[in-house]
Amino acid sequence: MDPLIRLVDVKKCYSSGPTCEIFPLAGVSLDMFQGDRVILLGKSGSGKSTFLNIVGGVDSPTEGRVFFDGREITRMSSQDMAYFRRKEVGFIFQSFNLFPTLTVGENVTLPLDLLGIRDYSRAHELLNETGLNGYWKKFPEALSGGEQQRVAIARALVKGPRLILADEPTGNLDQETGNGILNLIDKICRESDATLIMVTHSPDALWMAPRRYRLKSGVLLEEHYTN
Amino acid sequence: MTIRTLLQFNFKYYRRHTLLALLCLTGISLGVGIVVAVELINDSALSSFESSVDFLSGRATNSIISTFGRIDEKHFQEIWTNRRVTAASPIVDVIANTLETDSEPIRFLGVDPFLDAPFRGWTPQLSGKDDLAAFFAGDPPGAFLSSDLMKRFNLKVGESLTALDAGLEKKIRILGPLTEDSSGGLGENIAVMDISSAQEVFGRIGRLDRIDLLVEGSVSDAFPALPPGLKITDANSRKSTLTAMLYSFQLNLAAMSLIALFVGVFLIYNFSMFSVLSRRQDMSLLLTLGCDSRSLVLAFMIESVVLGALGSLAGVIFGYSIAAYSVGKVSSTISQLYFLVNNLNVGLSLRILGIGVAVGFVATAVGVTLPALEVAVTPPVLGLKRQSIEDRTKSARAYLFMGGAAFFIFSCLSVWASRNSIFWGFASAFGMTTAFALFTPGLLSPFTHYLGVVFKKSHRLLDAFLAARNIGASLSRTSIAVAALAVALSMTIGVDTMIFSFRTSVYSWLEDALKGDLYISPDTTKWDHPLPETLIKKVEADPRLDSIERYLALDVYLQGRPVKLRVIEPEILEKKARFKFVGGEESHKAWSQIIKGGVFISEPLAFKFNLKVGDFLTLDSPDGPKNFPVVAITRDYSSDQGTIQMDRSVYISIWKDDRVQSIALFLKPGASIEDVRKSVAALFKGLERTIVSNHEMRERVLSIFDKTFAPTATLKGVSLLVALLGIATAMMAILLERSKEIRVLGYLGLTPTEIGKMNVYQGLIMGVASFLIAAMCGLLLTYIIVYAINYRSFGWTIDISVNKWIFVETLGLTMAACFVSSLYPSFKLMRASSAASIKEE
Repeated sequence: MDPLIRLVDVKKCYSSGPTCEIFPLAGVSLDMFQGDRVILLGKSGSGKSTFLNIVGGVDSPTEGRVFFDGREITRMSSQDMAYFRRKEVGFIFQSFNLFPTLTVGENVTLPLDLLGIRDYSRAHELLNETGLNGYWKKFPEALSGGEQQRVAIARALVKGPRLILADEPTGNLDQETGNGILNLIDKICRESDATLIMVTHSPDALWMAPRRYRLKSGVLLEEHYTN
Repeated sequence: MTIRTLLQFNFKYYRRHTLLALLCLTGISLGVGIVVAVELINDSALSSFESSVDFLSGRATNSIISTFGRIDEKHFQEIWTNRRVTAASPIVDVIANTLETDSEPIRFLGVDPFLDAPFRGWTPQLSGKDDLAAFFAGDPPGAFLSSDLMKRFNLKVGESLTALDAGLEKKIRILGPLTEDSSGGLGENIAVMDISSAQEVFGRIGRLDRIDLLVEGSVSDAFPALPPGLKITDANSRKSTLTAMLYSFQLNLAAMSLIALFVGVFLIYNFSMFSVLSRRQDMSLLLTLGCDSRSLVLAFMIESVVLGALGSLAGVIFGYSIAAYSVGKVSSTISQLYFLVNNLNVGLSLRILGIGVAVGFVATAVGVTLPALEVAVTPPVLGLKRQSIEDRTKSARAYLFMGGAAFFIFSCLSVWASRNSIFWGFASAFGMTTAFALFTPGLLSPFTHYLGVVFKKSHRLLDAFLAARNIGASLSRTSIAVAALAVALSMTIGVDTMIFSFRTSVYSWLEDALKGDLYISPDTTKWDHPLPETLIKKVEADPRLDSIERYLALDVYLQGRPVKLRVIEPEILEKKARFKFVGGEESHKAWSQIIKGGVFISEPLAFKFNLKVGDFLTLDSPDGPKNFPVVAITRDYSSDQGTIQMDRSVYISIWKDDRVQSIALFLKPGASIEDVRKSVAALFKGLERTIVSNHEMRERVLSIFDKTFAPTATLKGVSLLVALLGIATAMMAILLERSKEIRVLGYLGLTPTEIGKMNVYQGLIMGVASFLIAAMCGLLLTYIIVYAINYRSFGWTIDISVNKWIFVETLGLTMAACFVSSLYPSFKLMRASSAASIKEE
């Protein structure tokens, strides 16, 4: 079986001149299969978000190659990368990033609109599952942090992406609400057999994935924990 | 935290956002520029004209003029021999075009060089017998020209100048230049001739245009009684009389100036306010870090002074350039409609500089200080949230709408009050534009919401849907930009619809009044060039003609104010033309009464002198004052001073003047207009220049009409440009403030092109919203301009005609301009989105 995601010696450097000064990723390789779950740990500024952005086709590596389902996304044009994200990737952010100008329903159905899907039944189902039935016409400002993150999760999953990238999804929430969110992500990923990469600082989230990696000095180190 | 630190902080903001700083400065300078340009044009027209009157008056203490256009030269002897008169100079003053100077007319002054010497320094230096002979009895007659005129048209001594008198060519030999000093350095186009030569060349034998005087002591003592129809005047009263003629024209420019001022102030406010609002979060952060609110406001006020100074300086330069560009058109309009002005000089006075700088400073200070104060009194924790200002804007919508309704009512009441003073007409226009500016947030919010719903339902225009929602979400920015554009557009629509209605009314009047198949010498009636009798007799003898109508137009005085007296032939016009009588009189009765000695008066005359049918008006004649009953009031757009129309035979019997300036030719059925035209043109050399068909005649009148409104177009263009810069700034603001949301769209899979398109849609939707608001406001403004401003200043009725193409053109122009305005922000956005990544807090 071929991996869904393959990173081959991916390097990313930031520079203000001709030479590289900061290496958030200094040669990272990783294979992930359909349904795999990975937790990514590391200090602030260690390159976790850069890693997610490169895997999600938002950013390009300085060197190395990234494959998704056999297609090399690092060779794609910005237009094709956008189509790739549109269809295959669901992002969940720490600060939710809902559009305050759109209603809950409009936020959740936006990825379907982008794909030209007019059937919103999945959006209604997901809002039901997340306990937000009846919030369709409300604006995000009327929702609590936990509710907003649930809307963001529904928005990430509504199109049935094969890859879910979550960047500290519980970082802005209290422990109880955060646990609820983690359970929800776990449940929905399990149901859809989606591959999950989650960046987190929270020890409460470690149960979500058997594979855990730590980014240190640009290098990906696998960590083994026992519960 | 010191003021210095805060100023450095503000300076760094502008250094980081150079483009925004430039946009802000451009907005201020354009706003100031519009106001300065209008003031400069207004001032230069008046001051050039006043300098010209002063210059032409020379050292004369007084002048004698005629109240009916000409002085019999026999009166000169009597005046000259008056003991209290130290010196007297008879003057023939004629304006004519020449072939050599193309479209620039020349003022030909016929003087007696010996009698004129005490008055002016231009008495030519005759170098010998030959010059003397050429000046007094040359064949062709000689003239000295202003040196500037000779230089500009490369005219040489000894060459001929071909003056066109009623279109006929008259040769005049160039004897030499007048010295720079003597031609006043005013750029006046002057030709000085011997008085008898001038009388002969321009068909004024036996008559003078004025007599300049040097009088000792009191003028009233010197001239206890003057011959009938003569009037003593001086340079100042001539200036004020002629300036009064410009009243309506200046009022028109003043109206434009006020609207420009409103748009200018609004936009400066918009730009300055934006520059503060986009730093709102920074300001709240500074307050959180311990900066006191007084220092913060003070720092922004100092910033407003710097911005205001830089913007005003650039604005004054810009306004000066616009004025210099437009002044040629204005001088041509004044020359066509009122009196000859050559080469208007645009001079920046301290007053105009003051107005420009004041507008720049006040609007910038208000625009910067008000939002800075708002932030200073807002708890920092709220100020840090971008959404809080949007929430405030949303909650302010209802109050703004109510304020708009109050201004709307004020505007309607002002229309009613305008019957007492023109001031209320302007107040009404101001009130209406303010009302719609205040309505904007309340209209924009539901408009973008429902537009978004429509786009969403279409399932095709997702980027347009997002654009509509973005506008609604950034109401604090977008509503000001939309209001500013709407104000500028409503002015455009209002003024354009007024001009179109006016033009349509004039066209319909021309259609009714001008029924001749051909016209001779219509252009020169304003310069009083009579046609030779031999010409009229030869034309009359043509068997293909059914009839001809002789026409004469004179400047006469009614109650001390100059008006036009038109001498017509009612027997012919009754049959051929269709006069529109607006005083409730019956047509056939009016025509029969004018033959019996009554007069028709135009609407402006009836309005200005408060005359009605049945009233009497008094005109001076060689036999003393004569009363004429007003038998009809006619629709007539030929002069805003007002016109009196009189039967030719009545005129001749009283004024003993049978001159003709223009004739209308009515052909017999079947006669070829072109054939008649050719054969008539062949009668006299140069006649082909002034014989025109009915269609050409109308076109000439309409082209003068179009020229009159040419400066309006320039101002309109600048206002629109300023407003569009406002749109570009608002879009840059959205781009800065909503950059994170836009990046999230990139994460969700919107391509850079789609994000760019979304931004373009944003510009277009703002354009459409502005247009829709402007269409409503513009139509109402048309009614205000026509009924409360135009009628009150000119006195003529204009039938309002709505031209759909004005709306189509304005919409097209707006959409094109909004599209262009959105390109740079869209380009920035596309570049940003392709490298998008969100920095999580």
